Amino acid sequence: MEPSLGFVAELFAHAFSYWWLILIATTIGIIIGAMPGFGSANTIIMLLPFTLAVDVDVAMIFMVSLFCASQSGGGITSILLNIPGNGGSAATCIDGYPMAKKGLGQQALVLSFVASQVGGMVTAGMSIFLLPYMAKLAYYLHSVEMVVIVLFGITLIASIASENMLKGLIAGGLGLLIGAIGADHIYSTPRATFGFLELYDGVPLIPVLIGVFAISEALMMIESRSVLSDEGLEVAKRAGWKETLEGIKWAFQRTWLMIWTAIVGLIIGIVPGAGASIAAFVAYQQARLYSKTPEKFGTGIPEGVIAPESANNGCSSGDLIPLLVIGVPGGTTAAVMMIVMTYHGVQLGPRLFIQSPEIGYGVFVTMLVAYCVMLFTTLPLTRYISRLILIPTAVLAPIIIAFTLVGAFAPRGYMFDLWLTLFFGVIGYLCRRTGYNVVAMLIGVILGPLLEANVMRALRISGGDPWTFFSSPLANILWVLLIISLLIPSLVQWNKNRQAALNPAVENQ
Amino acid sequence: MLKKDMTRRGFVATGAAALAVLGVPRVAGAQAAFPSETMQVLIPTGEGGGVDQAARAFARVWAKHLGQNFEYAYFPGASGQVGYEVFVGKREPNAYNLLFGNIGPEMIMYATQNPSYKYPDDIMYFGAIDSDDSVIWVGGNSKFKTINDLVEEGKKREITLSTSRLPHPSTIGALALADATGMKVRMVPYGGGGPARAAAITGEVDGCATFLSSSLGLAEQARFLGVFNNENRAPELTNNAPAINKALGTKLPVLSGQRAWAIHRSVAEKFPDRLEKLTSTMKQVFDDPEYKEVAEKAGTPWEFIQYADAAACDASAKEFAALAAQYKSLLSASK
Repeated sequence: MEPSLGFVAELFAHAFSYWWLILIATTIGIIIGAMPGFGSANTIIMLLPFTLAVDVDVAMIFMVSLFCASQSGGGITSILLNIPGNGGSAATCIDGYPMAKKGLGQQALVLSFVASQVGGMVTAGMSIFLLPYMAKLAYYLHSVEMVVIVLFGITLIASIASENMLKGLIAGGLGLLIGAIGADHIYSTPRATFGFLELYDGVPLIPVLIGVFAISEALMMIESRSVLSDEGLEVAKRAGWKETLEGIKWAFQRTWLMIWTAIVGLIIGIVPGAGASIAAFVAYQQARLYSKTPEKFGTGIPEGVIAPESANNGCSSGDLIPLLVIGVPGGTTAAVMMIVMTYHGVQLGPRLFIQSPEIGYGVFVTMLVAYCVMLFTTLPLTRYISRLILIPTAVLAPIIIAFTLVGAFAPRGYMFDLWLTLFFGVIGYLCRRTGYNVVAMLIGVILGPLLEANVMRALRISGGDPWTFFSSPLANILWVLLIISLLIPSLVQWNKNRQAALNPAVENQ
Repeated sequence: MLKKDMTRRGFVATGAAALAVLGVPRVAGAQAAFPSETMQVLIPTGEGGGVDQAARAFARVWAKHLGQNFEYAYFPGASGQVGYEVFVGKREPNAYNLLFGNIGPEMIMYATQNPSYKYPDDIMYFGAIDSDDSVIWVGGNSKFKTINDLVEEGKKREITLSTSRLPHPSTIGALALADATGMKVRMVPYGGGGPARAAAITGEVDGCATFLSSSLGLAEQARFLGVFNNENRAPELTNNAPAINKALGTKLPVLSGQRAWAIHRSVAEKFPDRLEKLTSTMKQVFDDPEYKEVAEKAGTPWEFIQYADAAACDASAKEFAALAAQYKSLLSASK
């Protein structure tokens, strides 16, 4: 099943010969990725007449490139406007936007793109050569293990809330409650839907994202003349090519962070049903945990942009592995790709790599080429894209509200979603004004349903036995790591306090 | 091995042709005969799933005979309830709005979840396109080689079977099998066919109960143990798995899902001519050789393609509603 280098080289030559198609697809992908409410899945569905009409290899090059680019594009609005383009880039807001406010928006965009592309390339490359072993991960990561992995992400609520623990935990708890709205995962019994049919499938993520981030941010913007601080405005106005190079330098000074957070994304992506949102939050939480300066996370530091962006792009490869190797799509975009592949008569599953290896491995080679192409197309643009933030808020805020409301309506076509967006906009605004952390709330909304689904499923399989959560060796290892990750910050702090108490001179230095 | 047979010019031409096809319906005038506008299809499950694929495959050929193209909208949630509620409550009853669903699972949902619409007063299935059998299969590495192995083990401990959703004919099949043989079965819903199949392949559960066509692409990763029908209509695709009734001597009902087109019931009274046009052109699809090609590409074996008229669909719907009522306490939270 492992491909020869000659075969991979041939695939590279083939993919590169379609550079112009990759350029078109990645451009579309970045634009739709940056627009909340427009994702790769619905774009690929709209373009099905085209992908069904052309040869399967051409269709796959187009779809895969668009898919990768949409993950990369999500960070643009997260950084510049505090508005995530999709769930996977929500964690990027935490440090990306503070960087932009300091006038470092251009560097943050460069960090986001470099991390996305390096993360994507690393995981695509790993997938080519380690595919059989990676596919095996799906055999070990079941509901019980997923419960612990999701908990890693949820513990981020406590980290984020450290400035004001009570308010942070209240916001996170509220998010978890909002995430519990909708039909239950076993019997489809509606809960807390208040009779609204539109809430039966749960509170839709996009209106919540847009409301809590975009609308509330726009309302906050109106209160000041510019998004940037006075100092930040001066810095941003002076920005030129030097800042792009600086961003690249900052990114490659953290190469190892890009690599390991991408691998976190890849592993989480392999589990069917998990996705970029959880990958990004878990990677952020882990990066903060192992940082020497965890207290700086959330204030606008490069690590806080690199970790989620690298992870959500690492997740792209992971998403496609179950589709190709076992014939089961890991996410919505993969499901739509499956339509195209089966229509063209491609046999998915283990036989794919025997009957059509050029398609199976070609997917990851295309990813590598697409990320490579994006490196050259996106980085020069950061200088110009970052100037978006210089637009006066009196102009920017109404534009944001108008555009994002379209995005809130687009995925499901319900007027209800527009009202829901405005409702969450007001909630988000009130949270910001009163010091409740909106990211903590969003983590609850995104990860709560995933946690509940996996907990309910694990209990159902075990016949309601709570000891099932400690029944697998891998889960037990993850539990230990989770507990360690919860204790480390307190122990480090305790040690610092102790050192300071023992030697006051150390503190003064 | 690799061929590069598409140039930039070819790409633009193909893209333009594909987009032109999308634009065709807008040419028709307001006074033209039905249908003069694009048909709007509501799918009560997610995009990319088996129902979506089957709808697209059928409509691709149907568009030729009907003279209009189809646009799709997806309203998944609560085992299909959201889609049906949206269709009945928010879509105009004009025969341009169609719903494409699966009679079996969605009538079980109707009987167990008490939605606000009424069958048959509000909705009417006017034609089914196929009949897909429920099956039980296990992962390729499973120790269970036959349905008898599974039943015998089920007498010693509870067998776990994944399913996309509890209100599903295969769930009723598994529960009826347990009733008839004394085995114990616990159904585990995964909220989608993909995760349900992955759970069985990766060994999280003992097996999977689902429709046959959705599991055919799994090749040696799946071992089919039995079919809930009186005979296996696709033995060569299912490792020659037996009909469960024949293998075990049981008298379980036939649990085949029919994917069918539906309209608002009032359309049949207000626009009988439109319904007639839909029905007559729909029948032509089954004789079109192109349909065989696209249906098989969409993953449905030709043996399962089978037209059923409105009366047959209604009979099937009522049969499933009755079966669901029998097993309601096991399929829903209400006891």
